[in-house]
Amino acid sequence: MANIINIKKGLDLPIDGAAELRTTDVRSIATYAVKPTDYVGLVPRMKVAEGDVVAAGDVLFCDKKDERIRFCAPVAGRVKAVVRGEKRLLLAVVVEKDESVDKAPAPMPANLKEQMLQCGLWTMLRQRPFGTVANPDDNPKAIVVSCFDSAPLAPCYDHALAGREDDFAKGLEALATLTDGKLHLCFRAGQKLMAKAEQVKSQIANMEIHVVNGPHPAGNVGTQIAKICPINKGEVVWTINPQDIATLGHLAKTGEYKPEKTIAVAGPMIKNAHYYRIMAGACVKTIVDAQALNNGYPSQDACASLKGSRLISGNVLSGTQIDADGFVGGYDSLLSILPEGDYYDFMGWLMPGLNKYSFSRTFMSGFIPRCMHGIFEKMPKCIAPKFDTNTHGEVRPFVFAGNFERVFPFDIYPMELIKACMIGDMEKQENLGIYEVEPEDFALCEFIDTSKTDIQPVIRQALEVLRKEAM
Amino acid sequence: MQMQWLRNYIDKIKPTFSEGGKFPWLSATFGGFETFAFTPNKVTRKGSHVRDAVDMKRAMITVVIALLPALLFGMWNIGYQTSNTLVAQGGEAFSWWYCFWFGLVRMLPMIVVSYVVGLGIEFTYAQIRGHEVYEGFLVSGIIIPMIVPVTTPLWQLALAVAFAVIIGKECFGGTGMNFLNPALVARAFLFFSYPTHMSGDAVWIAADMWGSDALTGATPMGQLATGLAPQASALDMLIGTIPGCTCETSVIAIALGAIILLVSGIASWRTMLSVFVGGGLMGLLFNAIGANSYMQLPFYYHWLMGGFAFGAVFMATDPVTSAQTNCGKWIYGFLIGAFAVLLRVINPAYPEGMMLSILLMNCFAPLIDHCIISRNIKMRQRRAEAARKEVKA
Repeated sequence: MANIINIKKGLDLPIDGAAELRTTDVRSIATYAVKPTDYVGLVPRMKVAEGDVVAAGDVLFCDKKDERIRFCAPVAGRVKAVVRGEKRLLLAVVVEKDESVDKAPAPMPANLKEQMLQCGLWTMLRQRPFGTVANPDDNPKAIVVSCFDSAPLAPCYDHALAGREDDFAKGLEALATLTDGKLHLCFRAGQKLMAKAEQVKSQIANMEIHVVNGPHPAGNVGTQIAKICPINKGEVVWTINPQDIATLGHLAKTGEYKPEKTIAVAGPMIKNAHYYRIMAGACVKTIVDAQALNNGYPSQDACASLKGSRLISGNVLSGTQIDADGFVGGYDSLLSILPEGDYYDFMGWLMPGLNKYSFSRTFMSGFIPRCMHGIFEKMPKCIAPKFDTNTHGEVRPFVFAGNFERVFPFDIYPMELIKACMIGDMEKQENLGIYEVEPEDFALCEFIDTSKTDIQPVIRQALEVLRKEAM
Repeated sequence: MQMQWLRNYIDKIKPTFSEGGKFPWLSATFGGFETFAFTPNKVTRKGSHVRDAVDMKRAMITVVIALLPALLFGMWNIGYQTSNTLVAQGGEAFSWWYCFWFGLVRMLPMIVVSYVVGLGIEFTYAQIRGHEVYEGFLVSGIIIPMIVPVTTPLWQLALAVAFAVIIGKECFGGTGMNFLNPALVARAFLFFSYPTHMSGDAVWIAADMWGSDALTGATPMGQLATGLAPQASALDMLIGTIPGCTCETSVIAIALGAIILLVSGIASWRTMLSVFVGGGLMGLLFNAIGANSYMQLPFYYHWLMGGFAFGAVFMATDPVTSAQTNCGKWIYGFLIGAFAVLLRVINPAYPEGMMLSILLMNCFAPLIDHCIISRNIKMRQRRAEAARKEVKA
């Protein structure tokens, strides 16, 4: 029987426009990129130059501190561009897919770990604390996998992995060999993937299955780690996305690196939002164009027609903003499209605010029953909660305390920890449990914060200082 | 967009108040008024892309709305008390509307003085420190005139507000950084600087609409302190038709405000509830001792008399100066209630124990939080210790 974990604290944002459960195959997309900026604390060392021919799984760049950690091309083709930003910071290595390239991939080593390192799949394993790529020399105390996503507009992994269940099961077996500790899988009740995992449970001695109930952030792996095996100073836990487990299964079964992914495209302004099957790191332009066409825009300037909206690789709470011709982030399975909110609101702080969503009940919207949030089509537009990128106010000092606790299901005092991070008191941070958290765990606190403080960057910065100190 | 003409006008005059314009030193003031008219068009740049609709302005205005029932009732009650006293002296009673008008005329100058002095100082500090005008004083500015006797001279009020904002708040870094509730600092300043204007029998009832003369009339707590039984019944105290500070007499009006604060989630129900529990239990304890008439007073009278209810709902719950942890809020609130009743009963020289009690616990709130958080830290250390032992074994 599965262990049941009940999360009470949290918040599900009623954002309209979740993806329908159908998939368009766009694996034919021509351009791909691997972005060093997706990986925390990575200092890359280039291994290719513009114009080089690469096979799928060939190295593009590696970690300067540990050259075993390689970041590789998801498809065979040619290196089209090496994009650099300020101070020559490496932003992306762009690969143009070329079917005619007949460069054979390098032969795979026998050992699974070596295989993962060689083809770059290793980089999908992240460690906590710090959120960096896992250190291959570590033996983590546990590997925790969240097999569902509870974030707003989140993809459904049951659907994303439809047809790849066997690879997923195979991947679990492979994954379990990477630790002497436990492999913890967390599901929603009744998930199809859970049935699959139950089937192979007898073959994997150190696997445990948990069912997690409750609102977001129940699906954040940080929440699950805190409930299952909280991280003490000096301990390491690894995490990985279920889609990458399927890729790992495929690698273990066939020896071929094929980083397929199914991403959801969703957002309040998107009609016919649905799933797209891509190879990792695909350029989103084709998808955005297709989606814009669905929305009824003319084909010529489809990208431009979504002007005034923001593309986010990942969810709206902790994702990364990308350009209309940007690339899906390494760890992301969701492309959120959110209207920009650069408008003025006359007496916005005084109006009844029937369509203003707030966790507090300071607007009239708080008195529209929650059950009505599910039926947006039938709701008059003036009372359907509106979500965009407006900050709805200016930055202020912290005044209202005690709300964070209501959306923060950790045994941690969030306000104290945030303040310790702001003043850079490392001892206090450690005492208050900084090693148990990642910025995304504070996303909801940041959302409901009356003082509009950017909390996630504060946590990341504090973690980076601690990480460098520990090196 | 609504009010496009106003937006256009603001955009037109904005350069005058920005860097390089004619009055760059007024930029904070201009920004204060601009964001008063329009919630800015700022979009998220770091962190979460989507944000809650609530901001400081909205939260503060919600508190001000919660204060309105007490304020409106208080205005009427000012007139009603004068009318009552005049009737007792053989005069004619005011009409209902005239009672309200009388109170409005008494209250408005106090509110204006409080806001002008307080906001003036806040704007100046914002200008000097180069940040936007923070909204904290929106609430303090209305609370201060609500918790003083109606006959308080305006110059004293102005001094008290200035003291509260400068010494109570800005000295410690401004909004969000103060450890004492600014409104209570103002009240305490008046109480200790001008005791004759703040207590006794001759301050609670205004003699006329414009002057600062007072009629004689004791509050229930004043009567109790001198060993008499209170004239007013519990029902009078509940409704609030008794002499007292301008707007803190009506428990019903305050309860309406409490509902607004609790439903909107602005104030902590833990703090509020525990203040009443603390006060009630202390009252029961004194009932058990029963050494004098004050001790024999039914415990629920303490909830109804003086500033207890007002303090519990609007001052103890001040999120900046109260305890921040949930467990700490229980302790903090409980002790406020208990100390308030203790001060009232044991030390009649200070009839208003609530003010002193909240200020005292404001000082101890960080200590309470420290103890609660230490427990969390120890838990974490024990867990790490246990894990280390497990690894060794």
